[in-house]
Order: sequence, then structure tokens, then C-alpha cells
Amino acid sequence: MLNALDKELLKTIAELDKLPQGAYHIRKNGKTLSRATTANINIETNEKENGITVTIAPGTVNESVHIPVILNQGGLNDVVYNTFIVGEDANVTIIAGCGIQCAGPESQGHEGIHEFHIKRGARVKYIEKHYAGGYGSGKRTMNPTTKVFLEENAQVEMELTQLGGVDEANRVNEAVLGPGSSLLVTERVMTDGDQKAASHNKIILEGDDSRSNMVSRSVIKGKSRQDFYASMVAKARSFGHIECDAIIMDNGTNETIPSLRAEHPDAELSHEASIGKIAGDQLMKLMSMGATYEEAVNTIIQGFLR
Amino acid sequence: MLELKNLSFSVVERDEDHHEQQLDIIKDMSYTFKKGKFYAITGPNGSGKTTLSKLIMGINKQTSGGVYFEGNDITHLSITERAKAGIAYSFQHPARFKGITFRDLLAIASKTDDEEKLLKIVRRVGICPLSFLDKPVDSTLSGGEIKKIELATTIARNPKLAIYDEPDTGIDLWTITPMVALLKREQVENKTTTIVVSHNRSFLEAADEILIFNHGEIIYEGDLKKALPILADFRICNFKPCPEGEKDAQCFR
Repeated sequence: MLNALDKELLKTIAELDKLPQGAYHIRKNGKTLSRATTANINIETNEKENGITVTIAPGTVNESVHIPVILNQGGLNDVVYNTFIVGEDANVTIIAGCGIQCAGPESQGHEGIHEFHIKRGARVKYIEKHYAGGYGSGKRTMNPTTKVFLEENAQVEMELTQLGGVDEANRVNEAVLGPGSSLLVTERVMTDGDQKAASHNKIILEGDDSRSNMVSRSVIKGKSRQDFYASMVAKARSFGHIECDAIIMDNGTNETIPSLRAEHPDAELSHEASIGKIAGDQLMKLMSMGATYEEAVNTIIQGFLR
Repeated sequence: MLELKNLSFSVVERDEDHHEQQLDIIKDMSYTFKKGKFYAITGPNGSGKTTLSKLIMGINKQTSGGVYFEGNDITHLSITERAKAGIAYSFQHPARFKGITFRDLLAIASKTDDEEKLLKIVRRVGICPLSFLDKPVDSTLSGGEIKKIELATTIARNPKLAIYDEPDTGIDLWTITPMVALLKREQVENKTTTIVVSHNRSFLEAADEILIFNHGEIIYEGDLKKALPILADFRICNFKPCPEGEKDAQCFR
């Protein structure tokens, strides 16, 4: 059921060599390829039959859910709505990702809309990787959307990565934080050639003592373009920080706009943003330890996107 | 082991009226550093100490003249090639990275990622605690911490020639003595030819040879005893009063 190409894509986006342990759902070309549930994690097709609902029982700990998507059918734009309900005090890892293998001239795309309802005291680590490959000339697009709702004292850590090969991406992340909850988002995007990627983020700190940190790392190669927009709105006594850094390697373009809005006198919000080439002092240091120029550049970029 | 032959380094600066003016930072310098010796280079700010260090490492490119290392002409070699030939350089203001840890740098410097070997280097350099290894080398490090990391990555190269540019910057007073002892130990045990650029008396006392730089020239070479009166003279010069209306920044240095 999984051919060699599928396996390679799965390895890239989900670090899977074989079918994963625990709960999983593998979607290929818009259809369910394989799924497994556990006593605590249920996965079923939603009512509209346009995606899945993953329900994690309260108190579930040390379990993971893999939900990779693979596409290799030319002309297909796969749109999927997935909902995750994470029960109270659960502690789980969710690994999503999409791999596109494009062999022909027709465009292929994936739009994954992921909605998360994180109940009181639950902790979630969400890892999402996007990658496109293949020698076809068709355009590869990926437009992921994540919407996260955190109840009291919930904690979410999100790692969102676009590894390369994606011609066009329009990324949207939205979150609403309840009292005492925390959200850490790290987004890493690398573009090359004529690729374009835009990332729109909106984080609303609604509950007292909620905290959020949004980190964005962009590497812009070739003539590619990346735009990053992040807005943080504090409606309560809360803490928020946006950190966005971009490295322009060749002749790329980058626009970075962090925005902060406080609607409460005890809100503490801050941001830092930088766009620039690879720092000369970093290159010198690595080369003075015997690295070649190319090795030094690689080391710096790998660290930056780590 | 390291020979400078008529080495010069100049830059062109534009003054207020856009007139181009040539500034000679290193002037026709010739000197031979001997194998296994400990040299301290000192002198007033702007005298060319750091510039010369960077010329040796290949970070600055000479205007004229040559650099010879163990008999080989390295004048036109890159930083990487000089590093591979056995020259190591400790920056006065070390680079700060994002997402790169002390372990990563040490692994590049020592060409191994073997845990035991890395810990051995950390112990040899005397960095405590060992958990320091996984610290990111970023803006969260204190000035003293980053200098220790810089020193460790230089020593980890096992260089034939080690150049330290003001290694004591940001280091607390009670760490300087062990730092001097460490560089001395590397010199004695590994026959590392050592060049330290410093104003700190502890390094001057540790040196076999003192070089005093002024206006891009070596104005003294010899022991500390005879160097002291010259250095005392500089102190007087450096604190001369600047008259009102003085425009030359040199006066305020």
C-alpha cells in the first residue's frame, strides 16, 4: 500500500520509516490510505466528510498521533478540514505534515485547515513539516491554516516548518488563549528560486496570565520572497513576544511586520525583528576554525533553522 | 615560525570635505616570531595591534608585503587555508549565533563530535560546569562566558600558532590568573607559539617577549622591565588635556 516514493515522502515530513506506533491517519491524494486508533485516541471521518476529527481522551499521556498527507496526483488540490479535541490534562504529541511529489506539468496543492481545541490543563506539542519535490514543472502550493483555542492552563508548543520545494504558500495561524495558558510558536520557512511564501499570524491573549511567544526564522534564497505578518492582541493581564529574523542570501525580498496591541493596562508586549545577510563575524569565526565558506554558510543556516 | 616581511596595511578614508586620505595602519613591518615562544603585543588604542593579528589570520588582506608560516608563503591564502595550516584566532568580540551551541562550535574546531573527547577539551580549558556544552552561543551569554567559549574553540584546534586578541575583555579579575596559566600551559606542553594582544599586566608578565606598537610600527621588543617606562610614557600621553574646540578625535583617545 505504501510505495517507495510514499515512503520517502513520509520519511521527510514525518521522520517515519514504517507505519507509526500508536494512532495515525495517512491521507494520500485526498483519500484515507491507512488509519489506526488507540484506547485513548479516536480518529474518525467528520460529518461533512471533508476531513477527520481526532479526539484525545482526558488524561491521555505520552501518546502521539501521526497525520501525514501525501500527494502525487497531478492537477489535484486537496482541501482537508481536521479537528483535534484534546481532553483535560492530556499530554500528547501531534505530528502532521504534507509532502508533494510532482512529476508532471499540472499543479498540485494542499490546503490543510487544522482546528485545535485544547481543554483545561492539557499539553500539546504539534509538529508540522511541509515539503515538495519531484521533477515536474507543475506548481506546488501549500496553504496551511491552524486555529488554536486554549482553555485554562493549557500549554501548546507548535513547530511549523516549510523545508523547501514549495512554490507558493499562504500560511495562516490563529490562536486564542484562555487564563494561565501558554503558546509557543516557532515557524521556519526556507524559499528558493521564484518561490513565494506569506505567513499571517494572529494571537489573542484573552485570559489573565496567558503567555505567548512567536518565533519566526526565514531563509530567503535565489529571487524568492517571504512576507511575515504577526499581530498579538492582549485583552488581559498577559505577556507576549514576537521575534522574527530573516536571512537574505541572494536577491530575495522580505517584508516583516510585527504588530502589538494592548487593550489592558497590565499587558506586557514586545517584539524584535531583523532582516539581513549572514553576519560576517559568524562566517569569519567558522572559517578561522577550518570551515570553508560553503561549510560555514551551511552551519549558520542549519543552526538558524534548528 | 612566522615571518612578516615589509607588511603594510592601509585604508582610504574620506574627510568632511570628501577628500580622500590614505591611513597607514601597519607600516612596512618586518618581524620574526620564534617557535614555542609567548609574545605579548601592547600599545595605545589604534596602534595596529588587532589589525596585525587579523593580517596574520587572513581576515584583513595586506596592502603590500608578505607573511610566511613555517617557511611557506601564506600571503595569499584564505582564512580557511591558514586555519588548516595550524593558525588559530581568538576574536576580541566573538560572534554570537542563533541556534548554534558551544558543542557545535567545539565539534567543528576539534573535528570530532565524540562526547568524551569534547568533555576532555572542556576540562582542559577548565570550563565549569560541563553542562555549559549545550549552551547556545547567542546574545544570552555574558561577555565573560562568550570569551571562555572563544578561548576553548581556539585551544581545541591544537594550533601551532595561537593568536588571542584581548582575551581578558569581559573576564572578571579572579579569572585572569587561571586564564594566563592556561595559555602558559598550552605554550609549554604543546609548544604552541602564542601571541596575545593585551593591556593586562598579567599577560605582559607571562610573555617571553613584549612588543610595543605605536602608529603601526614596532617601537620596542624585549622584556617587561625595559618596556614599563615606555608604557608609563604612553599613559601620560594618553591623558593629555584636549584644548577647547579640538576637533581631532585622536586627542580624546
